[in-house]
Amino acid sequence: MKLEIKNLSKTFDTKEAVKNVSFSVNEGEFLSILGPSGCGKTTLLRMLIGLVKPTSGQILKDGKDITNVVPSARKMGFVFQNYALFENMTVLGNVEYALKIKKETRATAREVATKLIEKMGLSEHINKKPSALSGGQQQRVAIARTLALNPDIILFDEPMSALDVATRLSLRKELKDIQKEYGTTMIYITHDQEEAFAMSDRILVMDTSVAVQLDTPENIIKHPANEYVEKFVVENLKIKIDSLSKYIGVSKKK
Amino acid sequence: MSFALRLKTFFKMRNLSKVLIGIILFTIIVVPIIRMIFYMDLESLQNVFGSELFYTYLLNSFTSTLVATAISIVLGYALAWAITRTNIKVKYLFTILITLPMLIPSISHGMGLIILFGNNGIITRLFGLTESIYGFWGVVTGSVLYSFPIAFIMIADILKYEDHTPYEAADVLGIPKYRQFTSITFPYIRKPMISVIFAVFTMIVTDYGVTLSIGGKFKTLPVMLYEDAVGQLNYSTGSVIGLVLLVPALVAFLFDLFNKDKGNSGYVQKTNTMKSRVNDIIGYVIVSLCSIAVLLVISSFIIQAFATTYPTNMDFTWKHFENTFSKNGAKFLGNSILIAFLTSLVGVTIASATAYLAARVKSKFSSFLHLMAIVSLAVPGLVLGLAYVIIFKKTFIYGTIVILIMVNTVHFFASPYLMIYNAFGKLNENLEEVGHILGIKRARIVFNVLIPQCKYTLVEMFSYFFVNSMMTISAVSFLATPSNKPISLLINQFETYNMMECAAVVALLILVINMLMKGIVYLIRTIGNKYANKKTV
Repeated sequence: MKLEIKNLSKTFDTKEAVKNVSFSVNEGEFLSILGPSGCGKTTLLRMLIGLVKPTSGQILKDGKDITNVVPSARKMGFVFQNYALFENMTVLGNVEYALKIKKETRATAREVATKLIEKMGLSEHINKKPSALSGGQQQRVAIARTLALNPDIILFDEPMSALDVATRLSLRKELKDIQKEYGTTMIYITHDQEEAFAMSDRILVMDTSVAVQLDTPENIIKHPANEYVEKFVVENLKIKIDSLSKYIGVSKKK
Repeated sequence: MSFALRLKTFFKMRNLSKVLIGIILFTIIVVPIIRMIFYMDLESLQNVFGSELFYTYLLNSFTSTLVATAISIVLGYALAWAITRTNIKVKYLFTILITLPMLIPSISHGMGLIILFGNNGIITRLFGLTESIYGFWGVVTGSVLYSFPIAFIMIADILKYEDHTPYEAADVLGIPKYRQFTSITFPYIRKPMISVIFAVFTMIVTDYGVTLSIGGKFKTLPVMLYEDAVGQLNYSTGSVIGLVLLVPALVAFLFDLFNKDKGNSGYVQKTNTMKSRVNDIIGYVIVSLCSIAVLLVISSFIIQAFATTYPTNMDFTWKHFENTFSKNGAKFLGNSILIAFLTSLVGVTIASATAYLAARVKSKFSSFLHLMAIVSLAVPGLVLGLAYVIIFKKTFIYGTIVILIMVNTVHFFASPYLMIYNAFGKLNENLEEVGHILGIKRARIVFNVLIPQCKYTLVEMFSYFFVNSMMTISAVSFLATPSNKPISLLINQFETYNMMECAAVVALLILVINMLMKGIVYLIRTIGNKYANKKTV
């Protein structure tokens, strides 16, 4: 499933949130959009799913123009930062709800949902309400709910920013496993350089409302496109590494 | 933006429906008031403002309301403090007792005082009192009985959401307790307290019930309006007084509008009750005294209603009930229940739909809709009733229960609307978008996800509309005819003919029905919660 974004722009009243962004995403790829808060990355993602209408530009999925297609017809999933679970339904209810509504999937809804819940390691919580789960577990439910409709592409809007470090690390691995198993293309928004580098095949670096560089993590380190990328990505990573290597180095010497 | 584009955004469904509902609300709330204002003529203006009586009544209104408000606020604060800040036992029982007066019409508080302290009153005879309860102090006492539960509930709500962490910080810094009150407590409660004071003042100053029953020769502006408009059908001078009564309500409304509480209860770390034996004892004394006062009034109804002829023959009897029912009481009771039930249904539906549009479908017109939904707070029931009778007197809905359902829905709209508006606002903001992405229609998300999460709010709204429609005597008094009259208006009628027993029966009936309603709400909540807990464990 190839996704092509051509000259996408969004202006709210007078504020240009996204300015002329173009890039493409390859099938089965894990692509991160990395940028500071307020740079327009969430607006960009919301345009891809269809929650925000672009002011200008085009979105092509496998060559087909989907710029004005309703979100539910794009065969894309979206995972929110705040999970957005249905609090009145159980874990099972959340995952099977959309399947039960659609005629084609109604018969197998429960079976499909149960399997996904098992896959996400939530079987023992299947009859619990979201409020009884931890943040990491809730986000797993949200991911299972998205996977239920078998999307070609899943979009993640900073899905882990409310979670603690240990949960993040394990969920990172789970996401990569899901990607391998289903071959789903994933577009992942984050402001965390380390997270982007640990997970992505390629990274799109954004400055205020514009895309600055799209490349593999390796190439970005080696050849930052400009001073901004150098500062925001490379230097920040170095600081992090330096502050830790002090200790890690010591333990190695011993 | 080009004109065509502007036109297009305006005609989007969401904008159109908001503007439409907003205009409907404007038409049924604001337009009648404007119509009322234009009903005044020069002559009635001269009549009212030129009469000495007007200024006497204005002064009476002002002084009695001021004193009653001050007492209510102090009492309400003391009660709220006792319930939220001490460790007294059975708080829920005390809370029920001290809020019972909210379930009966204002006029019955005056009546209760007469039964207790009147010339032939229970307590008057018991203690051989010679002071007369009629007049200024009777009105003040009755108004306090009528309004202190509201003050209590509003203040308890403020205290409940006060964050305790600043006090801990102050303790760590060694700041003495009295300084903590002036520098932490006072700034926190100042603005919400002003709102409470305005609300209680407005509530008392626009009420005619208490004064009509116990004021005797002491009359106030609402009584003047009532006698002019209901008694003599003089809507023109009534409108002038109505306009005067609109002022305090409007001031209170505008104050609230421009002083929106910016605090966020989400930041509350914890609230604390101090472990203090002395505080607990003070707490018990306060809540017990208030509970006794409330129980005294209610027992006065019970004694009057069930004693054959108080005080000479105290034998139990149903005679007064039979008598009440035979004098159209049964029919009017049926009217009341039907009106209250239908008002609740209509009110909950319209308020929820309006709140959904205002809270969860963001667009430019949201704030306009919200304003229209709460503007009824600025219109006292008495004024609304007068405005409605001026407009609808000659239409076919006058004399039917439709007009009463309509006026009640408008009169009590704002509070339930705000309940559901806040409940909708607290739900996750992305739920409809999730539906949009998963291919689930908005209506389904509303009925399968949003409403189940707000079901208890809906039940509370229903009960609010119901209880208030059962007990109101303000707006409906202008619009009731012998065919659609609600039973609450019988109290005054019976009192006029000195049939205190029947008046007590009516007050009791309203109290019992409203208590039943509250009981049902309580049951739904507890059973619902138990069921929910069982299911998830």
